[in-house]
Amino acid sequence: MAEIQVEHLKYKYPLTNKPALYDISFRISAGEFIGIVGENGAGKSTLCQALTGIVPHFHKGAYGGKILIDDLEVKKSSIGVICQKVGLVFQNPFNQVTGAKLTVYEEVSFGLENMGIPREEMHKRIDSALKLLGIYEYRKRNPFDLSGGQMQRMAIASIIAMQPEVIILDEPTSQLDPQGSEEVFQAVQQLTKVGITIIMVEHKIEKIAQYCDRVILLKDGKLVDFAAPQVIFSRSDLAEQGIVAPVYTRLCQALERKNIETGYYPVTLQEAQAVLQPRREN
Amino acid sequence: MKNISLYEDKDTFLHHLHPNTKLLYIIVANLVPVLIGTHWVTTCFIILSFLFLLCGKVAQKSLPMLGFSFMILLTVIIIQGIFREGNVTPLYSFWGITFYREGLTFAVFVTLNVINILLSFAILVLTTKPSDMVEAFVQLGLSPKIGYVVSSVFQIIPHMSEKMATITDAQRSRGMETEGSLLIRLKAFVPLIAPVVMNSLIDTKERAIALEVRGFDLSVRKTFLHAQKRSKLDKMGQTLLFLVLILGILWRIIVC
Repeated sequence: MAEIQVEHLKYKYPLTNKPALYDISFRISAGEFIGIVGENGAGKSTLCQALTGIVPHFHKGAYGGKILIDDLEVKKSSIGVICQKVGLVFQNPFNQVTGAKLTVYEEVSFGLENMGIPREEMHKRIDSALKLLGIYEYRKRNPFDLSGGQMQRMAIASIIAMQPEVIILDEPTSQLDPQGSEEVFQAVQQLTKVGITIIMVEHKIEKIAQYCDRVILLKDGKLVDFAAPQVIFSRSDLAEQGIVAPVYTRLCQALERKNIETGYYPVTLQEAQAVLQPRREN
Repeated sequence: MKNISLYEDKDTFLHHLHPNTKLLYIIVANLVPVLIGTHWVTTCFIILSFLFLLCGKVAQKSLPMLGFSFMILLTVIIIQGIFREGNVTPLYSFWGITFYREGLTFAVFVTLNVINILLSFAILVLTTKPSDMVEAFVQLGLSPKIGYVVSSVFQIIPHMSEKMATITDAQRSRGMETEGSLLIRLKAFVPLIAPVVMNSLIDTKERAIALEVRGFDLSVRKTFLHAQKRSKLDKMGQTLLFLVLILGILWRIIVC
């Protein structure tokens, strides 16, 4: 159960003039499913890396403010320590394969071996992680022989097996087919039920609307808004932020039908259906 | 995927031996001849190694390894046979070139040693999975980082050459000539190698991050997924090898 607190985070990559993140503050409670949206170059990936300590420990550069994961301060801890609390999965599944292991099963064990987990515990964790992501049947394959989607699920399984309290997914489904990405979303949602905090960058905006409790909207390294998906996607300046609202929201906007209870436009199919249906019956 | 390691997956007792046992064999096979100091011991170990390779069904694969060193050994024989300092006893001569006994004896000594080293290492390399071998080294105390570098090479080099093939196809589909005379190939080299190198650098950075978030840099004592399996045969083999080593040392002490 980890609570994340970000206070006045500023960060500038080395050899650049513009800050990648500028004065960002927010608070995430344990077990929340958070989406991060924003146009390209808005600082989404940098924010993800800041939460895992890759920024500033790996990239160096100028850093200000602080991030607390419970009482662990990211700036003052090593990536090795942070990674036991915060897991990171990123875009390219190929580059997340360590290349030192010959089977999927061994690949998932990599992080656990580094953490010094006893062998019996390791087997238990790997089995359950592989089953959760639906790749248990491929456990004896070579990691590089998997398809992109399977490889990405293996990357997620490798992180899940380390049992972090927060999992950060940086565009995890951009290389997956619709079915594969749905599977990933479902698996990820399962994780929130056991109290794991999920933070996800994703371009499939409908998925964000459907699964996230709250959404962070970034632009040019600044935090524009942090609110429920309905609030974010009902903003009138969404186009300026470089975001396209979910198709259901756009439809209801065109029809000027808001959800009467919340006062915002619907963001999911179910919600839109509920809002639009009564008129048809009348 | 292409396999660049020399390992051959077969089901023989050699494949099931623990890497440490084979490692010990290498040490014994190379140290005992030095301790005793006669050609005969070296020859015995060469024959023994070759028998082991036959048992491991990898003798055929070890021949190219010998072939590779053949040219070097041939030059050793020629150079030492003709020019070695202290050559006095002519053995035979043709076309006005004389080979001497002393030089040839020395060359035979070098050749036997090289073959002995090659064959004893061949047992380890040809019958042990690279990942098992590295893991055994790491468990013996090799830094996990160096272990990672060694074992990842076996997977990442083939991966890179696959990428090279993809980039070659991509450049070809844009009309670049990649086949033909040497000049054409040389011209094609730069536009091919640049993306490969750039790509690899980017990949390496990402992979480094991926390793970091998997706790690669943790100073905790590592555990291992696979248990060290030391069979009865391992124990017997290791005891026997130690015995041979001790006998060799004793021989040396007694004889000198």
